[in-house]
Amino acid sequence: MALDKYERVWLTAVGGLIGAFMAALMVAYLIFDIRLPTFEARVDPANLNSTMFADLGVKKRGENKYDVVMLAKMWVFDAGKDGGNPGVPPVIRVPRGSRVTFYVTSLDVTHGVYVEDHSINLEIVPGQIARQSIPFNRPGEFRIICNQYCGAAHQGMYGTIVVE
Amino acid sequence: MQLTQSQPKSFQVNTTSVTMLNNERWLVGLHILSAFFALFWGALMGPFQTFHRSPAFVAAFPNATMPIFSYYYQALTAHGVLNALFFTTMFITGISYYVTWRSFDRPLVGMPLAWVAYALELIGLVILFFVLLNDPQRSAVLFTFYPPLIAPPLFYIGLVLLVVGSWLGLLVVFLTYGAWRKENKAARIPLAPFAVMANYVMYFLASLGVAVEVLVLALPASLGLIQNTDPQLSRALFWFFGHPVVYFWLIPAYVSWYTMLPMQAGAKRVFSEPLAKIAFLMLMIFSVPTGLHHMFADPGISSTWKAIHTVFTLMVAVPSFMTAFNIGATLEIAGRNRGGKGLFGWMFTQKWSDPVVAAQLMGMLQFITGGITGLINASAQINTVVHNTSWVPAHFHQTVGGAVALTYIGIMYWLLPMIRGRALYSKKMALAQVYTWGFGMTMFGHTLGEAGLAGVPRRTLSGLSPYLSEAATYWLNANAISGVILLVSLILLYANIVLTLFASKEPVTEGGYTVTQGDPTTPAILERWGLWIGVAVVLAALVWTIPFIDSINLTEGFQILRYSPAGPVPLK
Repeated sequence: MALDKYERVWLTAVGGLIGAFMAALMVAYLIFDIRLPTFEARVDPANLNSTMFADLGVKKRGENKYDVVMLAKMWVFDAGKDGGNPGVPPVIRVPRGSRVTFYVTSLDVTHGVYVEDHSINLEIVPGQIARQSIPFNRPGEFRIICNQYCGAAHQGMYGTIVVE
Repeated sequence: MQLTQSQPKSFQVNTTSVTMLNNERWLVGLHILSAFFALFWGALMGPFQTFHRSPAFVAAFPNATMPIFSYYYQALTAHGVLNALFFTTMFITGISYYVTWRSFDRPLVGMPLAWVAYALELIGLVILFFVLLNDPQRSAVLFTFYPPLIAPPLFYIGLVLLVVGSWLGLLVVFLTYGAWRKENKAARIPLAPFAVMANYVMYFLASLGVAVEVLVLALPASLGLIQNTDPQLSRALFWFFGHPVVYFWLIPAYVSWYTMLPMQAGAKRVFSEPLAKIAFLMLMIFSVPTGLHHMFADPGISSTWKAIHTVFTLMVAVPSFMTAFNIGATLEIAGRNRGGKGLFGWMFTQKWSDPVVAAQLMGMLQFITGGITGLINASAQINTVVHNTSWVPAHFHQTVGGAVALTYIGIMYWLLPMIRGRALYSKKMALAQVYTWGFGMTMFGHTLGEAGLAGVPRRTLSGLSPYLSEAATYWLNANAISGVILLVSLILLYANIVLTLFASKEPVTEGGYTVTQGDPTTPAILERWGLWIGVAVVLAALVWTIPFIDSINLTEGFQILRYSPAGPVPLK
C-alpha cells in the first residue's frame, strides 16, 4: 500500500487543521474561560415550591451581579414579578456592565433559552437546572427566545432583556 | 502537479450489466421506489415550510395552510420522519442489497429474510402516514420525539418496525458475506460491500441507543404502562443514535463516489482503495463516540464529557477529508483523461451534462459547505452561537439534503431505468432537476444560516413569531424564494420518475458499475472485522457509560410527567 506524495501532504495538513481546532477550543476554554453548561442540580418539576424556583425573577446578588431565576413552560417564560405570567412575555432589566447568571428549569417539556447577540444558549430539560453566566456590556433590548420545539404555540414563546 | 496511481497487477473487473434478474429487480426496485415515495411526501413539505416561516408570505396569505399535513408541526414531523428516517433507510437497504449482490457476484443469502425486512419497513411507513394524518396534534413530536412530549403508540411502533427491518437487512448482507468468504478464502473484500458492512456495523451499534429509548421509555409511556419519563436520559440515548445515523446516510453516498463515480466520470477506478477502506473503518469507529456534541447546551451532562466527545467529533472529520482527497484525485484523473489541461482545466472537463455525474458533483460541492459548517458546530464554544438556531438545519440541508440526497438521486437516475428496463425518460429534465436542486439548496442553506445568526430558532413556525429582527425577517423571506426553486426541482424529479416508469419507450443501455474484486494490496488487517468491531464497541462504551449513568435520575426516579405537544396539561 503506497501513499501518494500529495496525499501525504494533504493528510499532514488535515492533521494540522484538526490540531489547530482542538488548540483553539482549549484556548477558548482555559484562557477566555468560555464554559459550556455542565451538571448543576436536579429539581422535581412537581415540587418547585420547595426550590429556588419558588421565587422567580431578577435578583441582585452584589455589585453588578444579578441572577435571573426563570421557569420555562408551555408557552411562556415565567419570571415572577418581572412578567411572564399569565401569558405576557417577561421584561428583565439589568444595568449595563452587569454579569447575569441565568437559572432556568422547565415545568413541562423541553424548552430552550437563547439571547440575541449574546453567548447564551441552553436546553431547558425538565428535571434539570440549566445555569449559564454571561456579561451584558452593551445597552439595548435583546430578545430571549425559546429555541427548542415545545408544542403548538412554540413560535410565540419569548421574553426581553433590557440592558440600561 | 501530476498524480500517479499505482496499478496493481491482476486487478480490475468492471461489469456494466444492465440486465437484472427478476428477484433482484423486485427486491431492489421496491426498496428504491418506496424510498422515493416517502421522499415525495416528506420533501414536498419542505418548500411550504419555508413559505410559512416567511413573514412576508404569512402577511400575504394569512389563511394558507400546509398541503396534506395541514398543521405546520405535523408537516415538520412528516418532513423529518419521511425524509430522514424512511427515505434514507429504505434506500440504503435497497442499495446495500444491490452492491452486495453485484460486487460479491453471487445471489443474496436469506432472500425470505430480505422480504420480511421490506414488509416491516413498508408497514412502518404506512403506520406513520396513518398516525400523522389521523392525529396531527399529538403526533407532532418531530423526528427527535424528545420526551416528555409523547406521541400516540403507533408513532413509535412504526419506527420500531423500520429499525427492525433495517436490522434484518444487515443480517442478509452479513450472511451473504459469510457465504462469499467461504468461496473466496484469500481474496480481499470488494470496496463497495466493505463499506456497506462497515456502515451496518456502525448503524447497528448506534441504533441500540434509540431502541432502548423507544422500548423502555417512550413507547411504554405512550401506552400508559409507565406514568413518567426521563427527559435527560432519553436525549442521551437518542443522540447515541442521532449523530451516527447521519454517517449511516452518508456512507452509501461515499460508496457511489468511491466505487461507481470513478468509472461514470471517466477514470478506471478510485485513486486509492486501501485508503478508502481506512476511511470507512474510521467512520465505523469514530461515529458513535460523538453524540454529545448535540447536547453541548444540555444541563445534565458534564462539560468534561462534552469536551471528550468534541475530540472524537473532530476525528470523524478526518475520513471525510481523506475522501475529499481520494475522490478529488480520482476526478482529476478522469478530467485529464477527458482532455483537461493545466492546474484547473480538469474541473471543466467533467461530465457536467450527464445527470448521474452532475448530481454527485453538485452533492460534493454542497458537502464542502456542509462539512465546514459541521466543523463550526463541533467547536463547542462556537456552537453556543448557533445551537438550535436555523443555522443547524441550514447545515444539515447541505449535507443530507444536498450531498446525500443528490447522490441518492444520481444513483436513482441509472438504477431506476435498470429496474424498469427502459431508459430514463428525459436526461434534460434530470439535468435541470440536479442544477435547480443544487442551486436551490445552496441558497436555502445560505439564507437559513444567515437567519440563524440573526437569532431565528430552528423548528419554529417563524412566520408567526412576534420577536423577529429586521435581518431575521429579510433572510426568512429570502429563504422562501429558495423554497420555490426547490419545489420546481421536486416536480422535475417526480415527473421524470413517473414518466420513466410509465411512458419511456427507449430500451435501457447504460447501467451501474460494479467492481467485483478487492484491491489485493490492501493490508489484511483492515479486513479483520472482529478486531475493528471490538474497537468500536469498546470506544463507544468508554465515552458513553458515564454520561448515561449521569443522565439516569436514579435518586428521584422517572418523575417527569408526560405531555402532548397540543397542550400544557399533563397526560393523566
